[in-house]
Amino acid sequence: MEMFLKIVLIVIFAPILGGFLDGIDRRISARMQNRLGPPLLQPFYDVIKLFGKESIAVNQTQIAYAFGHLVFAIAALVMLLLGQDLLMLIFILAFSGIFLIVGASSVNSPYSKIGAQREIMQMMAYEPIIVLMTVGVFLITKSFMVSSIFEFDKPLIYYMPLLFIAFLFVLTIKLRKSPFDFSTSHHGHQELIKGVTTEFSGTQLALIEMTHWYDLVLLLGMVSLFFAKPIWVGIIIALVAYFLEIVIDNISARVTWRWMLKLSWVFGLGAALTNIIWLYITLK
Amino acid sequence: MQNNILLAVAILLPAFSAALCYFLKNEKARVGIVLITAVALFAVAGGFVKAVFNAGDAVIIGLDHNSPIDLGLIIKLLDLALFAYIFYVGIKLKKPLVMVLVLLQVIPTFIFENFMGVKEPETAFVIDRLSLIMIMLVSVIGPIITIFATGYMKEHEHHQHLKVSKQPRFFMVMFIFLSAMNGLVMTNNIMWMYFFWEITSVCSFLLISHDGTEIAIKNGLRALYLNMLGGVGFIIGIICIYAAKGTLALDEISSIVNSSGLTGYFAVGIALLCLAGFTKSAQFPFQSWLLGAMVAPTPVSALLHSSTMVKAGVYLIVRLSPSYGGTILGKAVATIGAFTFLAASAIAISQSNAKKVLAYSTIANLGLIVACAGLGSHMAIGAAMLLMIFHAVSKGLLFLCVGTVEQGIGSREIEDMQGLMSRMPFTTVIMVIGMISMLMPPFGVLITKWLAIEAATSTPLVLIFIVLGSALTVAFWSKWIGTVLTMSYKKKHNMENLSISIKFALSIMCLFVFAVSIGISPIYSNFIYPQLEAFGISHSFELVSNGLGIAINGASDTVMGGFQSIPFFILLLAVIALIPFLMKKVKPASIRAPYLCGDNVADDLSGIEFIGPTDKIEKVEVKNYYLTEIFGEDKLTLAVNLIAIAVILVMFGVVI
Repeated sequence: MEMFLKIVLIVIFAPILGGFLDGIDRRISARMQNRLGPPLLQPFYDVIKLFGKESIAVNQTQIAYAFGHLVFAIAALVMLLLGQDLLMLIFILAFSGIFLIVGASSVNSPYSKIGAQREIMQMMAYEPIIVLMTVGVFLITKSFMVSSIFEFDKPLIYYMPLLFIAFLFVLTIKLRKSPFDFSTSHHGHQELIKGVTTEFSGTQLALIEMTHWYDLVLLLGMVSLFFAKPIWVGIIIALVAYFLEIVIDNISARVTWRWMLKLSWVFGLGAALTNIIWLYITLK
Repeated sequence: MQNNILLAVAILLPAFSAALCYFLKNEKARVGIVLITAVALFAVAGGFVKAVFNAGDAVIIGLDHNSPIDLGLIIKLLDLALFAYIFYVGIKLKKPLVMVLVLLQVIPTFIFENFMGVKEPETAFVIDRLSLIMIMLVSVIGPIITIFATGYMKEHEHHQHLKVSKQPRFFMVMFIFLSAMNGLVMTNNIMWMYFFWEITSVCSFLLISHDGTEIAIKNGLRALYLNMLGGVGFIIGIICIYAAKGTLALDEISSIVNSSGLTGYFAVGIALLCLAGFTKSAQFPFQSWLLGAMVAPTPVSALLHSSTMVKAGVYLIVRLSPSYGGTILGKAVATIGAFTFLAASAIAISQSNAKKVLAYSTIANLGLIVACAGLGSHMAIGAAMLLMIFHAVSKGLLFLCVGTVEQGIGSREIEDMQGLMSRMPFTTVIMVIGMISMLMPPFGVLITKWLAIEAATSTPLVLIFIVLGSALTVAFWSKWIGTVLTMSYKKKHNMENLSISIKFALSIMCLFVFAVSIGISPIYSNFIYPQLEAFGISHSFELVSNGLGIAINGASDTVMGGFQSIPFFILLLAVIALIPFLMKKVKPASIRAPYLCGDNVADDLSGIEFIGPTDKIEKVEVKNYYLTEIFGEDKLTLAVNLIAIAVILVMFGVVI
């Protein structure tokens, strides 16, 4: 019963938090670009408006994919907050991502399809890094459960600073921030139009937007795992990391997917592997 | 006594059906034989489940010395006949290499059996739970695929315009194969296993070259060469082991644990048997025959080259795992498996031929099983056995789907499957379920991948290969799923016309895919956990089933990891159940054409054409990324083969 209550609370409050963070992002980005920016609650207004829009579709399956994308993102977040297996959580999150990819390539629009292909590239780029992160967690805590991180007496960052840097790399890709924002873009008048979300509209787009909020909370939650104990330090660091992401977003230009794959496999994966090898040696 | 009958039926019934299929050329009779054999084999599989559970650990059938029939002698004679047949094939096709490979096996076999005073094991057949798993794969999936083949081969020959049907021979070989597989997994005498092993190699050759085209014969011969090479390793391995330990009984061999480290003749023998397993399971650098085997009719690919025969190789490797798993030899074996997993997954990204993608994915998954067997921990061997089940079911289904699609659209290229959903909705939905079951939770294949990663944490190199490989896996599956699900709005989907046997096979296999994944917990606790106990593997981490899924327990039963798959299945099924409802909500009036680079051509809701800058009508063409400049077959094959050869040399280096 207590667990059920927890799940309900997560499902209700996570998007509120995520939406706020999104609003803050827009405000800060606007200030960095010398604009005033929209009100803090603008993301909520947007989504409410999207829900009210006349439903336009290209085919009748799109809505199902958007829905699956949302449901499995929620499932992943619930797993995190219930302290479940970290590795499985990552696979569940990937499942949510696959729904979006398949949804985007289910229509015949070239923009949407290319966006989906690029999204696959992104997944290929970050997946091994996060999996290695969970292995790092296992080597330190001798367990894959998220709950074990909280039972461990020291913050993980002592043992895995390089994995943390690699994870920040992943965060940029996962949040689709510049320089890795090539599967979709904030502005509809670029070479890719809106990439994966080009053909989603109305309710479908609202669901995808909400998934983004859940993802945001989940990813920042994962950042805070590195500093868990006391948890408020973790939360502050997560917010700092988020600010950092916004800065990076605003000061960098988009790279090609080839560059991203090279960058993330050489630097991201390199940093992660270095950290893992070092853990093997010191913890043996 | 009852068990003896069951055993005899399992091996002899398919052999008998094979003869019937060959001599009764009538098509109706053939379909009847296939159906009756299928039902009988299902019953045999069920009978074995009951027998093994009644017996507790394993059903053991000894040799009856009073029996008038000397089974050992019969198998020796059949073995000689088999070699004579292969030699004849070598002469007929003028391939001296085949003859050399036969001689390399016949001479050691002959000397070994006649001059070394071989003591045959008393327990001729031991059917434990690992055998039972294999029997179920062979005797349940096998017959379903032969039923599929009755519909498929008719259509296949229709396309070929043959004067005389070659189906009698085709079904004969298929049934001989089933008979040999059943023998292979039940026998405890490694010499007999070797005999059945060689039969499957020959069946594979006959079925790959079935169509008789130049390429079919060439690829069939390649399969024969490589599998015979494995056969040479097999017989020499047996001799080494016998020289060291004086036994031919598999259960004794696998329970020998060398406390003084694994060296000497015994270790070399085990390494040679693993090598034989690599060839049969198409591990790098022996993968080429499995890729070539894709020219065979699809039921062959489904039965031999994905679900069952290639599992014989990993069956041997897993069976022997208690004797070498976790040692240096085990680590070398694990490295080869994990490397194969990574390399095959990488090359699969560059493939646009659906059957080849499936072939590479098969090689990759077999690699993962080998990797787990080599690691040899409680969790790893558990994962290996689970993956044998899940992979056989899902891959069997996928091959059947690709075969059906190929007959439907006349192509096996993934690019030609754009919009398959509108043309063949029934097959497409089932195919997508098959693909999802290969890569996504809560389905079994992913769960074993997750277990493999968690089991490999103590072996860094293996771990990294598996982690990278599993990221690449996502790429080739997801783009394929996206391709087949592409569709424009349609009010009503018209079901494609399929023969009843094909429809039946696809539906039942699809059902199995769900059943084994949902039932992971009972399957684990009834079939796999007792086997791990019987192997007597010591463990610091233990894999247990906990009702809603499986969990990894550490010392003093603290949970180290786990996955509750049932709640996720409920969630997934709920999403699936909602799909029709969500789809109904979309009204025809709200459908718009997709956004293209210019004005859409009027009334074209599917977005195939648009009006370009010069008022010309342009066609939209979007293709998947295949990244051939990075992952191309021609770019990678040589390099990965060389690396794989090096690792195999290291494997032998550490035991000599």
